Amino acid sequence: MSLTDYGFYILCATAIVLLATQAFTNPKDFFQVTIFGLADGAIYALVALGYTMVYGIIELINFAHGDVFTLGAYIGAAILAFFAGANEGSFVVVNVIALLLVFPIVMLIMGGINITIERIAYRPLRNAPRLAPLITAIGMSFVLEGIMFMWHGAPTVHFPDLLPHGPGFQTTIGGVFFGFKDVFVVVAAAILVSLLAVFINGSKLGKAMRATAQDRDAAQLMGIDINRTIAATFFIGAVLAGAGGMIWGLYFNTIYYNLGFRTGLVAFTAAVFGGIGNIPGAAIGGLIIGLVAAYSDGYIGSKWTEVVIFGILIGVLVFRPTGLLGMRVPEK
Amino acid sequence: MVRARGLIVLTAATMVAFACGGSTGGGGGSKGTIKIGSDLPVCTVGGQAVQNGIQFAIQQRNASGGVEGYTVQFQGFDDCRQGSYSADAGVENVQKMLGDSKFLGMIGPYNSAVAKAEIPIAAPQHFVMISPANTNPCLTKDLPTCSYHPQDLRAGNANNYWRVVTTDDYQGPAMADYIYKQLKFTKVGILDDSTVFGVGIAGSFETEFKKLGGTVVKHSEYKKEQTSDWKSILLAFKNGGAQAVYVGGTDDQNICIPRKQMKDIGWDVPFTGGDGIETSDCINQASGNEPNIYATSAGADATQVDGAKQAIADFRKAFPGPNDFGGYTMQAYDATNALMDAIGRAVKTANGTPTRDQVRAEMAKTKGFKGAIGTYDFDDKGDTSLKIVSIYVVKGNLSDADVKSSTGVCGSKTAKNACFVWKTQFDFAQASSQ
Repeated sequence: MSLTDYGFYILCATAIVLLATQAFTNPKDFFQVTIFGLADGAIYALVALGYTMVYGIIELINFAHGDVFTLGAYIGAAILAFFAGANEGSFVVVNVIALLLVFPIVMLIMGGINITIERIAYRPLRNAPRLAPLITAIGMSFVLEGIMFMWHGAPTVHFPDLLPHGPGFQTTIGGVFFGFKDVFVVVAAAILVSLLAVFINGSKLGKAMRATAQDRDAAQLMGIDINRTIAATFFIGAVLAGAGGMIWGLYFNTIYYNLGFRTGLVAFTAAVFGGIGNIPGAAIGGLIIGLVAAYSDGYIGSKWTEVVIFGILIGVLVFRPTGLLGMRVPEK
Repeated sequence: MVRARGLIVLTAATMVAFACGGSTGGGGGSKGTIKIGSDLPVCTVGGQAVQNGIQFAIQQRNASGGVEGYTVQFQGFDDCRQGSYSADAGVENVQKMLGDSKFLGMIGPYNSAVAKAEIPIAAPQHFVMISPANTNPCLTKDLPTCSYHPQDLRAGNANNYWRVVTTDDYQGPAMADYIYKQLKFTKVGILDDSTVFGVGIAGSFETEFKKLGGTVVKHSEYKKEQTSDWKSILLAFKNGGAQAVYVGGTDDQNICIPRKQMKDIGWDVPFTGGDGIETSDCINQASGNEPNIYATSAGADATQVDGAKQAIADFRKAFPGPNDFGGYTMQAYDATNALMDAIGRAVKTANGTPTRDQVRAEMAKTKGFKGAIGTYDFDDKGDTSLKIVSIYVVKGNLSDADVKSSTGVCGSKTAKNACFVWKTQFDFAQASSQ
């Protein structure tokens, strides 16, 4: 083990000891904050996966990804308000059916949109200097924000409140309060991440993606359609972001046009934290960032939260440049 | 949408202005036109409602012959950038008005931070600014808590800035009094949005609440671009035994989303704040947890003033939209009339088109102005003698009739029957004279 490794472990150990003290002295608060953090982290994880998959395959930081996530929430809100707006706040079967239908619809729409973005803004620049697609990605981010701004303006947009809550759907265990919503977010994210893992490791397309990520030229020589594989990566990333947007909307019930900027930045941090290009890394990174943010809000003060998150990012990059689980990027 | 509608209204108003100027030509409306500008965040519902009040006052005045024979032309400027107010945009707008000698004064701005940037460029040109909504005390008062001084903003020039609302140093204490004495709560948590306005109003609330004998469980702050989940902060308030939350901030900083999240952590106590939360957007952000949001407004409620009933009824006829009327619409109406009165007097003094300095000098002489919200004076710093703070509370599930008789500040769509209703008012002018 090198010196930097020791530094990393010492940092981790300090954080764990500090948190354990809190968990011991005031377990009720600690576990309550942990629940907030897990729910937020689950959503960050879904967004982080999109960053990490795209980076892993074409080494592009897709700055527009956070806005794809927000657009998913906007489109979901529009469709849900149309079908199930009347049943808000009450638990009826129609809501469940509406959600079961709208989730895949939004995910597919977002997948389609992201493929289009890739085709227009990134594919023509695939062999251009690295800076060019980075700039178009920032441009796409502003375009998407502009579209949402034109659609609903600056004020916050209400996302239909279709998840059951209130008495009967919430409980207090050992002083820790949580509701159906909290469970829903974590379970939904876990299901999606598991499906992704099965797909990447088990399907032919998943294998092609892994091969393309490892060595694009060699993959092409083996007969893999590179354009199709990369498009599929964008599609899946956006499917997860779309689902993330829906889950965010259902959980927070308020969305706004530039929501993706901050969420995207945090999710990107999560991806780097877990090791960019590394899919399980992004999922774990998202969860950890969510928890760190919640602990910081609860124990340090929310004005320091951003400092803490990015301080950790600097720490990780200094002591462990490849992230928690190691980077997976094309071999040179 | 809001912006598009604003444009249509604006165009219509200008056309009405021209039409009236033409038709009343025989009555002396042919002396020419003078311009009044406004600088408001028109992208927000609150900013738009203020602009409506200005347009309405000008329409009325033009319909009855204009100002001493001059037709008043209105031009509204928007200081929104990226969906919320921007001091830079405000400065640009004021510079545009200063560049056109027809402009004899402006109504606005809406946000104190914008006023702070605008006064220094308007003061040397003696350009009258009357704000219907600025409540930051530092714009007119040299308080020890201020980070800047009113005399520095004016840089040695005569005062060119007035406001028809009172200041946050009354707004915060009013809510502190209300919570401590009326609701009888002794422990609160305070949250501010890190803006000049939010920090100022939260600070004045905290000082007064502690003076009364109350306990502040915790004072937390956040920044809009960094926070989307307030649950950990709220939990700390809850566990500290807070019986109410006081927020210093505005809806465009998402200050009311925490109201919704209080429900998510199973915590039901009043959510209180200043005029920045007395908005439709705030009700929308509360998203299912609207009732028991308490808000102060630094001014008398026009709907509670007998003298304003006729003006409001006439306004509603001219602007029938659900969000057209807001908490500061009548203040804007009064500000515009005060400005037009001053211009009228200046026209007489100058015996012709007055200079900006003449208008400013006449505005400074305003005494016993009879407005819709009361009869009042302005002191030499620009503050109104009317020191009334109103308190409002959101009631949910109102009947359609009750919605109509409320402030009209209601949510949209699913929350359209949740509206702010007037609760009580504090008169600090009376309290200090007693």
